[in-house]
Amino acid sequence: MQRAGHESPATAAVCHDGLETSAAIEWPPEDLGALEVLDYNRVTEDGAEAVALTYVNVKAGWVVKRRLQRGDHADWLMENGAGSMAVEVSGTIAGDPLGRLGEKKRQVAECSLPIYRLAVVVGFERPSILAGSV
Amino acid sequence: MTDTTAFAVTEDELDTLVSIAIRRAEILDDERSPAADEAWHEVATYERRLAAITAPSDIAGGVARVGAVRATLTAGHRAEAERLASVYLAEPELPAERRAAMERVFQEDRDRVAQHFPTLAKSGRLAEVAAWKASAAAQESRVFPIREAA
Repeated sequence: MQRAGHESPATAAVCHDGLETSAAIEWPPEDLGALEVLDYNRVTEDGAEAVALTYVNVKAGWVVKRRLQRGDHADWLMENGAGSMAVEVSGTIAGDPLGRLGEKKRQVAECSLPIYRLAVVVGFERPSILAGSV
Repeated sequence: MTDTTAFAVTEDELDTLVSIAIRRAEILDDERSPAADEAWHEVATYERRLAAITAPSDIAGGVARVGAVRATLTAGHRAEAERLASVYLAEPELPAERRAAMERVFQEDRDRVAQHFPTLAKSGRLAEVAAWKASAAAQESRVFPIREAA
């Protein structure tokens, strides 16, 4: 978020299965010089995971059980009192987050585990959290 | 003489360890690092230990069993992956969906190898690749032993 020119807290547009709302995203400021030396894509991916996992926790109490292997077609196995959920996460700096959400929903739909399945895309240029269940 | 201490690791701790190991192995895979096989070996070790302490009918138990087979195969140990799969498939409580997922692991591996070695695939010689990988893997010293004491 900071690398995309935002200051903490930033207001993100949220769209979850078509329901629109907003969320404040807050983070401890980092030295941008330090961020420059890190892999650009990896920072985007890690940032998206931090936002997405926090979002599903705040939304419905989901907590991380473990990371899944790529062959499972999802990034994370999560749990709450209601059961388990497979989550696929992606981040986009300047791309079309809605198009990316479609891609990620198709991907997590291939996860054969008999549990809730959710794709989450975090947009950084225009702060947004898009989530879609399959 | 070296003293060996056995540590009891909880499921939560193994979940954390396997999560870190998967991330590392996938990054090394993306970078086509020669260290990727060893990293997948570490993943397989944690997955097998998770499989040993979880029920096959649990979501986490089924994930660990398929994960153990997939990581072992990705690390280049086809024979060991097949042995593990036969052990897990013999568990009556393993759900049908996990059985199918385990079979897909082997099919996906065959497809991946065929993509990397199209000429050998066309001439039906992919078994040579598996034999070479197994031989190369056996010659490397391992931080994580492939078989653990029961």
